[in-house]
Amino acid sequence: MTRLAFRNLFQNKIRMVISVGGVALALMLILSLDAIFTGVEQRITVYIDNSGADIFVSQSDVRNMHMASSSLPDSVTRIVKAVPGVAKVTPISYISNYVVMGDERNLAYIIGLPDMAEFGGPWKISSGGSLPEEGEAIIDRAIAEKSGVHLGDEVKILGEEFEVAGLAEETSSLVNSVAFISMDDFAELRGNYDTFSFLLVKVKEGVSPQDTAKRIEAWVRDVTAQTTEAFSNQERKVVKDMSTDVITIMNLIGFLIGLAVMALTVYTATLARRPEYGVLKALGARNGHLYRAVLAQALISVAIGFAVGLAITLLLSAIIPRLGLSMVLQVSSASLLKVGGLSLVIAGISAVLPIRQISGLDPAVVFRSK
Amino acid sequence: MKKDLADVPGRLAPTSTLEVDHVTKRYGSGDTEVAAVREVSLSVAAGEIVLIMGPSGSGKTTLLSMLGALLKPSAGEIRLNGEVISAMRENHLPDIRLRKFGFIFQDFNLLSALSALENVAIVAELAGIKRSAARKAAAILLTNLGLGDRLNFLPEKLSGGEKQRVAIARALINDPALILADEPTANLDSKIGHEIMRLLRQIAKKQGRSVVIVSHDQRIKDIADRVLWLEDGQFKDMVTMATDPVCGMTVELDNEIKIEWEGQLFYFCAKGCRDEFFSHPEQFSSRSVQPVKG
Repeated sequence: MTRLAFRNLFQNKIRMVISVGGVALALMLILSLDAIFTGVEQRITVYIDNSGADIFVSQSDVRNMHMASSSLPDSVTRIVKAVPGVAKVTPISYISNYVVMGDERNLAYIIGLPDMAEFGGPWKISSGGSLPEEGEAIIDRAIAEKSGVHLGDEVKILGEEFEVAGLAEETSSLVNSVAFISMDDFAELRGNYDTFSFLLVKVKEGVSPQDTAKRIEAWVRDVTAQTTEAFSNQERKVVKDMSTDVITIMNLIGFLIGLAVMALTVYTATLARRPEYGVLKALGARNGHLYRAVLAQALISVAIGFAVGLAITLLLSAIIPRLGLSMVLQVSSASLLKVGGLSLVIAGISAVLPIRQISGLDPAVVFRSK
Repeated sequence: MKKDLADVPGRLAPTSTLEVDHVTKRYGSGDTEVAAVREVSLSVAAGEIVLIMGPSGSGKTTLLSMLGALLKPSAGEIRLNGEVISAMRENHLPDIRLRKFGFIFQDFNLLSALSALENVAIVAELAGIKRSAARKAAAILLTNLGLGDRLNFLPEKLSGGEKQRVAIARALINDPALILADEPTANLDSKIGHEIMRLLRQIAKKQGRSVVIVSHDQRIKDIADRVLWLEDGQFKDMVTMATDPVCGMTVELDNEIKIEWEGQLFYFCAKGCRDEFFSHPEQFSSRSVQPVKG
């Protein structure tokens, strides 16, 4: 019966293309959206993950950067440095604002870096310097290219002009980028010279970042210390919480489109074969045999649709970065499992109506068709 | 449990008898009740070919459907080799149809997406035969029927006669005791029709299977052991029948629509045929009006 389903499916090429293509597009919509959001999630923590720190120390109860503000007094740097297990510290200033390039305004994490910062700065430079001097900014290469900005050009950050002194790679996502200026400039623009936002901590070799973070919280008053991994997870969670409803709605739309396309094509395919199913029934096929054929047809269509949808999504995820777009498509195994599960549900539901149609089919119809 | 199919072609079916005992089929109820078949009794011996003829709407299809366990009679009993199939529960009937009956249809009714070989093998597979064995048996049957070079052809690539031979192979693959054929020559030209008739005769005489044919085709009378006339849901004596010289239909001798022309009586199925006869009597009067032999 599986062979019959296969042959029925492939005999009508146009119907197969519509069926498989419709399902593929619907599943691709779900997969791509998932991949975009996974990419955004991953890129949104790109600074935290590549900062080189083992621990992020922030103002008490501040657990992420996105839409958050942290302020720590200068004295914290000295105290944390004295905590056993701490090897190096780098204070950074942070604010979420725009980098203005001509008429374009690009949302960015503005990071203020101290002179000679050993870590916390850009991790991959495509051209120019890697540490901003006074009046200089290091911005994302892709964003700069998109806006036609080159090394030596001027951009506006927090209302002041900065000369582009370096272009960094992998510091942009679909929603924002990271721009680096000197901590002195940052303090001048903000009018606050005695505080900073986060303290990045490197632990000594062989020391547990988790234990050290606990020790920092015990030793230093009014701070929250988290390992970089925990801080990154918190950041992702905030983004995820903000985008969950959108993803759910888009997934639902994709699911319903896939279901509608599949249900319609399986239904019409079964309707077109109704006389043949009647013949099989007359010859002695049981309803179970015919249900299997219909279900197999739906499963094969959905499986091919899933494969095509996945192939297109992977192709897009390979092509998009080459186009210079600040978007990353990341197909996760969780997304594959989810879309695979949805595909099975689509196949199952779309086969229900045709199965009901077949169950009521009178085998004696073979003698009445003429 | 799947089993291997023994040598299929040429197998002799077990001695079988189909018995139809006072079978009636009614549709509707009360004032709208219609009896499509009324108190019909019939017995078909193993190896016998029975041809059932009759006008459209006479109940032939209903009777054939009941004989093939596709339809349950309202009254009466149908037995195959002593087993009462008319009283069987619905869920037992697919097995009976699969193993005891072979069906041959006017429109061939082959599955368009499957090759000739697969069309035959699928019925054996439904009966629990392993795929490889089913394909092997189907290939032998089709080859014996002269379709050895057409095994992998789709039905659309086959001629009418070839399609009907595939249908015959499909009807035989599960070694049934009874073959039920519905207008098996209707869509075939004269030569191919004769070939199909010869095959049906072989199936009955060499393999010992009972064959019941429903048809309007007068040529099939040549191979039938018995010809039965079904009209208004009942069998009637065919000695009292004649052939309409215009349309060729078999009509009753006591038909009111008759005329005498140059000393000979002509019987018609309808006034239309009689009027057409009158318009060109010389064209039709030479046609035989001999009563049909029963």
